[in-house]
Amino acid sequence: MRSLWWKILCMILMVYAIVAGMLFPLSPATHYIDVSSGETGKALTFNVFGYNTNYSQSKKPIRAWLKKGKDFYLCASDVKVVSDRQLTTTFQIPEKIADNPQSVNLMLIVDSEADGHSVLPGAVTIKQTASNASMASSCQVDYLEEENQGITFPFRNILEETIRSLYYHVPLWFAMMIFLLTSMIYSIMYLVKMNIRYSIIASEFARVGVLFGILGLVTGMMWAKHTWGAYWNWDIRQNTAAIQVLIYLAYFILRDSFDDMEKKARIGAVYNIFAFATVIPLMFVIPRLSSSLHPGTGGNPALGSNDLDNTMRMVFYPAIIGFTLLGVWITSLFTRLQLVKMKYLDTDEFED
Amino acid sequence: MYTKKILSLLFFVLIVCQNNLFAQAENPDFFRSIGKIYVVVAVLLIVMIGIFLFLFYLERRIKKMEERLGDSHS
Repeated sequence: MRSLWWKILCMILMVYAIVAGMLFPLSPATHYIDVSSGETGKALTFNVFGYNTNYSQSKKPIRAWLKKGKDFYLCASDVKVVSDRQLTTTFQIPEKIADNPQSVNLMLIVDSEADGHSVLPGAVTIKQTASNASMASSCQVDYLEEENQGITFPFRNILEETIRSLYYHVPLWFAMMIFLLTSMIYSIMYLVKMNIRYSIIASEFARVGVLFGILGLVTGMMWAKHTWGAYWNWDIRQNTAAIQVLIYLAYFILRDSFDDMEKKARIGAVYNIFAFATVIPLMFVIPRLSSSLHPGTGGNPALGSNDLDNTMRMVFYPAIIGFTLLGVWITSLFTRLQLVKMKYLDTDEFED
Repeated sequence: MYTKKILSLLFFVLIVCQNNLFAQAENPDFFRSIGKIYVVVAVLLIVMIGIFLFLFYLERRIKKMEERLGDSHS
């Protein structure tokens, strides 16, 4: 544990996670438009604002569609490039786009040669008034440009630049799970071998695990405020994570309430094993059984291919290793401090 | 003392990262076109490196205590 290489690896990975995680750009995308609704039978003109786009560098004319449901497309009658990040588009909304008078939600697709195609869901709502006209026919879409394939993070509506929080918020939870598991293993080893050293390592791993858990909760609240709208959304994963941190806080209270070292270690170890048994349902089972704002609900594995692309993996996995090594480093320092303290108290006169 | 080696290594990593980032930044995206995000990254790096140096310092102090107590295990 005293060798240097993994500490240096930890520093390099953390520096890399910060530099790469903060500075890789987001892929070009349609950010927002400046109208929200239109009417049938009228022309609808609006400005499209892109994010990280290069509209003026597109060699082919830029095309745009409004899409209803699965296969109804409405071609733009005119697309004017205002600047790299702004288009002015005009759509002739036909007399009839829905069978009944109702509000129809349309998605905007912009296709540019320079940036690939991008989608803005729920862009405009068209009010269908009663009409005798025949149903408008769909416009043909021959091809779409490939989505941008460079070293970019995906642009997700609502998340936008906050997608970078993933590299600093989620690794805290991964690292915490690793520490709690290690802590439980050391608790079992204590009960088998009755070596007080294992008990100290177990409690220090749990301590750093709880520290990371609290940091994960706080960073999650920060992120939630700016994407879901409130610090605490009573989201199932938020609740179970908070319960789990409380369960481990009880471990320290229990452990510190005995003066006798043997008793402290033995009861602490037993409690720790049961505490870890609650981690499995709280962190892995319950959040997947009900709906949650977090990714990975309804039986999906968290952070599947829908949530991470390859560029994100390039930063995310090193960040996990970096955070884990950082926690192990802190744990090793605390453990050695505790051992020194115990030894000191032994050689002097025993008092605690 | 290995602190110097570590710092120079970190510096090297920084330079490599920066070169890569600038190389593909012929057309800087909106986030970086303003340029102040670099300040944020620098602030974060100073905080991280400060914490790491503190950990090394802490480790040295603990080592001294262990040596004084004649500790050989762990």
